[in-house]
Amino acid sequence: MNDAVRVESLYKTYENGVTALDGVSARFASGTFTAVMGPSGSGKSTLLQCAAGLDLPTAGRVFIGGAELTATKDTARTKFRRSRVGFVFQDYNLLPSLTVEQNVLLPLRLAGKRRPANARQILDRLGLGDRTHELPERLSGGQRQRVAVARALVTEPAVVFADEPTGALDLRSAREVLGLLRAVVHEYGRTVVMVTHDPVAAAHADAVLFLADGRLAGSMAHPSADAVAERLAHLGDLTTRAAA
Amino acid sequence: MIAIALRNLKHRPGGFVATFVSAFLGAALLMAFASLMDTGDTESLTTTAVVGGGWCLVIVAFAVTSTLSLSVRQRADQVALLRSAGATGPQLRRMIVGEAAAIALIASAAAVPVGYALGRVLLSLLQDTGQVAESVGYRFGPIALGTGFGVTLLGAVAAAYATARRTAGKAGGRPERPRLRRVGAVIFLLAGANCSVLTATLMDGKGVDAMQTAGQAGIWASIGLALLAPELLRLVTAVIGPVVRAFGGVAGELAVTGVHSRARQLAAAVMPVLIFTGVATGTVYMQGIEDRAAEGQIQPEYAQDVQTLNYVVVGMIAVFVAVMLVNTLVAATTRRRREFAQHRLAGATRGQLLGMVSLEVVLVTVAGVLGGSSASLFTIVPFGSARAGELWPSASPWQYGVIVALAVVLTAAATIQTTRRALRGPATAGVRA
Ligand SMILES: Nc1ncnc2c1ncn2[C@@H]1O[C@H](COP(=O)(O)OP(=O)(O)OP(=O)(O)O)[C@@H](O)[C@H]1O
Ligand SMILES: [Mg+2]
Repeated sequence: MNDAVRVESLYKTYENGVTALDGVSARFASGTFTAVMGPSGSGKSTLLQCAAGLDLPTAGRVFIGGAELTATKDTARTKFRRSRVGFVFQDYNLLPSLTVEQNVLLPLRLAGKRRPANARQILDRLGLGDRTHELPERLSGGQRQRVAVARALVTEPAVVFADEPTGALDLRSAREVLGLLRAVVHEYGRTVVMVTHDPVAAAHADAVLFLADGRLAGSMAHPSADAVAERLAHLGDLTTRAAA
Repeated sequence: MIAIALRNLKHRPGGFVATFVSAFLGAALLMAFASLMDTGDTESLTTTAVVGGGWCLVIVAFAVTSTLSLSVRQRADQVALLRSAGATGPQLRRMIVGEAAAIALIASAAAVPVGYALGRVLLSLLQDTGQVAESVGYRFGPIALGTGFGVTLLGAVAAAYATARRTAGKAGGRPERPRLRRVGAVIFLLAGANCSVLTATLMDGKGVDAMQTAGQAGIWASIGLALLAPELLRLVTAVIGPVVRAFGGVAGELAVTGVHSRARQLAAAVMPVLIFTGVATGTVYMQGIEDRAAEGQIQPEYAQDVQTLNYVVVGMIAVFVAVMLVNTLVAATTRRRREFAQHRLAGATRGQLLGMVSLEVVLVTVAGVLGGSSASLFTIVPFGSARAGELWPSASPWQYGVIVALAVVLTAAATIQTTRRALRGPATAGVRA
């Protein structure tokens, strides 16, 4: 199977001396849904940002859709990233001054591409067809996150990264967004890598990758919430937080 | 809540710089003019104090209120956070007003030595021009301090109170009050028109006295039009937006979309450009008309000296407004760090964002210069008719050219430089800011 994303021996040490990634190698096959889990501070967000080209690793290599991300300059990295990677954030990061539709189409416009024929379809599929001209502030958290997912998909990227996409949502909205991410993988054949603290959310994925202290700490295929929770308990001090 | 206010000042001094700068400079200018009244009550002292101080008063009050409202609105997030932690509306209002009062006090105190020095300069100019006897000693007393502290403090507290009511009033609600703003604009424009009419009628033939009403006319009109900045900006965008869109690519499209949805925020940038152009053009051309009208009336060297004094006064006001312009633009642009970062996360390069901001600068300066030029006519036309019997000054356009060029250069430099700084570092850090 093709790898949508491959990282080789990623290291990341921040300016303050904290080593967030300590030699991580991993591959994410095309058309799969992977959850990344681990205690707080274990380097999950750093891994996603380095793999997405949002941040520069101290050492290591990143391949997306078969192409290596070698650029170090911000502009070159942005150009590489915006056609190959979608990113969904916990706090949405929608532009407050743009409408739903403008937000969704923004990455395409920035990349100088035409509005795709299926733009309407994507919005309809997300249940946002009648709200396309609203500003994000008028939407609920769950609706905003669906807009963010649509925006991440609009350039047909090789991979969509999501960092705690349900972290700010209520139970029902969270389930909707997770269902959407599953559909992205299983109906549209995209690849999703999602960081989460919630074993129930992780159970929506095809596989779970565990991280501790900036290193890989095992993986699990066909995860169930219980099995994930149990594994996390062994990983460290996270149990209380995950259950909360 | 006052304790929180003081802690805010200590921990986030950056957020208050803009307010501090305008309060500091404003207080210094007011003290300088008012100190002439402390010094003595001869006619030339009082006239200089009233004319110069009068112009400053309105501009300073406007500058302090507008920067303060901007900085309070910038902190809507913090206010929302405190509110969700259980702070009540009155508590938040006390915090915001407390901060404003503290800044105004510190700024006024810091302004005392500067105001003192500037006042001395004004007095020695008056003495050099023979309008005040050499024997008169400089005094910096209660009128200087009272005006400097009083206006700054009152302006800051009133603005803080009004903004706090809006920001902290309703949870999550920040209702725009366009009607109130428009009514205010009409009132200022009427006041300006009134001064214009007075200048052209009552003051006709009154010589220098006409300068006072004519100068006020332009200032009131500038402020009135500045209050209409959002409408002005929309109008300009409607006219030249299609061109910007056609030639600016994505950056142009983003700039134009931005104006439609962020007209109110961008209007904060139009205001100082407009006031700078309006006040500078009005006063400089009025002085030009006066110089030509005065030719042959007084002895040449003497006229030369009075002219110098007037240009110093006009210069001081112009410098103040120019600093305000840069100050406001830096504050308004710094505030967009998060927005810029979000654009970058969505795939915008730094170059695209700089392009977008540059095109916004085009729209902002066109709106500001047009508005300011119109406002300056409230001064120039009636003064020309009263003093020289001509509606259109027979002055050369190069001074206007210099003023417009200055407005463009200051706006572009301040905005683009601040944008560059806001784009430094990874975008992921920018959204956290
Ligand atoms: N910009 C930064 N500068 C300095 N240190 C950082 C920065 N970002 C993260 N770190 C540090 O790097 C380590 C890993 O952080 P990271 O955000 O990747 O963890 P995480 O697994 O996503 O944690 P969480 O579950 O709390 O989101 C932490 O010790 C953190 O303090
Ligand atoms: Mg994280």
